[in-house]
Amino acid sequence: MDGRKNIKIALNIATLLVTAVFLYWGDSVLSPFQKRILNLAAIFVILGASMNLVVGFTGMFSLGHSGFMCVGAYTAAILTMSPESKELIYYMEPIVPWLKNIEWPIIPATIMGGIIAAVFGILVGFPALRLRDDYLAIATLGFAEIIRIIVTNTISITNGALGLKNIPSEKSLLFYWSFCIITIIILKNLINSSWGYAFKAIRDNEIAAEAMGVSVFKHKMLSFTIGAFFAGIAGALMAFLITSIDPTMFRFLFTFQILLIVVLGGMGSLTGSVIAGIIITIAMEWLRFVERPMTILGMDIPGIPGMRMVIFAILLLVVVLFYRQGLMGTKEFNWDWLLDKLGLARNRERGIS
Amino acid sequence: MKVRKFLALMAAVLLAAVALVGCGGGGEKASSEDAAKDSDVIKIGVYEPLTGINAAGGEMTLDGIELANKLYPEVLGKKVELVVADNKSEKQEAANAVARLVNEGVDVIIGSYGSSLSMAGGPVAEEAGVPVIGCSPTNPLVTKGNDYYFRVCFIDPFQGTVMANYAVNTLGAKTAAIIQDVQQDYSVGLSKYFEESFKELTGDENAIVAKVNYNTGDKDFSAQLTEVKDKNPDVIFAPGNFTECGILVERARELGIKAPILGGDTWEAKEFLNRVGDLEDIYFSTHFTAEEPVTEVSETFLNEFKKEYPDKQVNAFAALGFDSYLLALDAIERAGSTDHEKIKEELAKTSGFKGATGIITLDENGDATKTAIIKKVEDGKFVYEAKVDPQN
Repeated sequence: MDGRKNIKIALNIATLLVTAVFLYWGDSVLSPFQKRILNLAAIFVILGASMNLVVGFTGMFSLGHSGFMCVGAYTAAILTMSPESKELIYYMEPIVPWLKNIEWPIIPATIMGGIIAAVFGILVGFPALRLRDDYLAIATLGFAEIIRIIVTNTISITNGALGLKNIPSEKSLLFYWSFCIITIIILKNLINSSWGYAFKAIRDNEIAAEAMGVSVFKHKMLSFTIGAFFAGIAGALMAFLITSIDPTMFRFLFTFQILLIVVLGGMGSLTGSVIAGIIITIAMEWLRFVERPMTILGMDIPGIPGMRMVIFAILLLVVVLFYRQGLMGTKEFNWDWLLDKLGLARNRERGIS
Repeated sequence: MKVRKFLALMAAVLLAAVALVGCGGGGEKASSEDAAKDSDVIKIGVYEPLTGINAAGGEMTLDGIELANKLYPEVLGKKVELVVADNKSEKQEAANAVARLVNEGVDVIIGSYGSSLSMAGGPVAEEAGVPVIGCSPTNPLVTKGNDYYFRVCFIDPFQGTVMANYAVNTLGAKTAAIIQDVQQDYSVGLSKYFEESFKELTGDENAIVAKVNYNTGDKDFSAQLTEVKDKNPDVIFAPGNFTECGILVERARELGIKAPILGGDTWEAKEFLNRVGDLEDIYFSTHFTAEEPVTEVSETFLNEFKKEYPDKQVNAFAALGFDSYLLALDAIERAGSTDHEKIKEELAKTSGFKGATGIITLDENGDATKTAIIKKVEDGKFVYEAKVDPQN
């Protein structure tokens, strides 16, 4: 028996329990503001991890993430809004009758948001995944913009540029972080499965992978669709967090924000995406103080809006200059590393023990 | 290798510091909130887009708010402190900013330029029970169904109606064409209400001869304008961003379209004027004019603004920011305390409040009913043209 294995299982369960207790405790203790930031962090972690699957693990330079988010957000919003608020909000053109009386609970609507986004992923993937590298980036970027234009113009379904509000709100840490943790567990298992190995093979050398019998197109589609699914979930969560959405939210700049998390954390490291997602969201909020007027060494410095972005950029520059691999590179956190550090002896058994 | 290790350590320390202070910040804030309750400071929160695509509008508004704060720094014998939060022109940041302001214990919030940003911030404030005064979000949905959101500007329906009135009654138009930016809620909203009241006023179901669309960021409007030209309308209504509309108006005149072109309050910008300054028959509605001070407060505002910002042009957004602040102070004074519920109730009762942009009365939705100003472009300047009261 491998002693390490039992320890690791115990550690996994313990971590999950501690997290669950923390979330439960946090829900009653933390202020709404702190909860909001942490929830936003959970959403960005999902976004970062799912984009990492496509960009970092499968090596497809896709920039369509905000488009899939948009699909997920709108699906979830329309499915959960009450008929009364739909009547109130669609004042330009009434909503199409078949959508009017739908009122789903939040969780199935979130999953439906992911599914619809995945369907779009398949539709886009078929033509677009024949392209590679920059060409794929351009095609997917174009797709994200097309989605936004469609949403803007189908007024009787999406209310066009006016956007939607009165989306049911959900504030508990437990809700967002459960989705986040489940996403990470699914993605981790996916990456360590035979599909995951195929993704990485395609990333490292597409021709070699094909020669070895990996169906390149099938696996690219899989990765792309799963990425789209989780982007849709994140979009839906975003709708519930902010409770109002409009098409301008999902401009392509949003994709770059996610790409930032992926690059900073390390392309090809889920751990990196989790760390970067949390740090970026919290730091963005925490750095607000540098925009306030302050006194340093007797000098009055007026508040300069945008300062936190500057500091952020410098931090980013350091990481990019000296850590071209990102914070984690392609490494992942695992208990072995921690146990080794703690000096626990490793059972190096070989063969049958 | 040593250098690398050192840098690795540095970065790790930096990031750890960020994470730690980020978490620790929460505790500090809670204590500062308690302190605020006891001290002699009344905090007014401001969330405006100070960076990002809407930064220009946010900055103009903030100018007005800061000016007002400088002139009237006290209420109920306590000092008023402005707490400014940038919302980066992004929805999730707007919601964060409001949550942060609430966390810092502000009593009233002012903001934000841009309706979609206001709609993101609204629910957060409503839930916390902190009243918000909007300076320039004109989308009706901002205040609808939110008891804690008020505003000092008029809303899209009113602005659209005003322009239709002006087109029919003053310009004598029988037909009109609409050119709208489908990506801007503002543009679509104004067009909708212009269309409705124009049809009603002319009594002609087919009075709108053309309705064409474009998208934010477009630079070529030849197709749309050719279509409009073929229909030969008496007026053209083209609400939208000043950048696109500047090009659009210029191109229309180049194509030989002589009909007056009408727009909304967003046109009051230098960039727009630079393009269309020497053209004729360009009218738009706005909230404020420097030429025809509506109340005595307008005069104070004008004089002080010129003193405070000698190199800036007086604009409607600054005036609206000024008014939001004054209204907040007024409501706190009427409430006699900083109890949020009381302030909210007093705000809802606001009637005949004299602001720089006119006399403001809030209706049951919390929207201001007030006089609109119509300006036109003449010799490279915006010139006061007419005043339209909400009754007609």
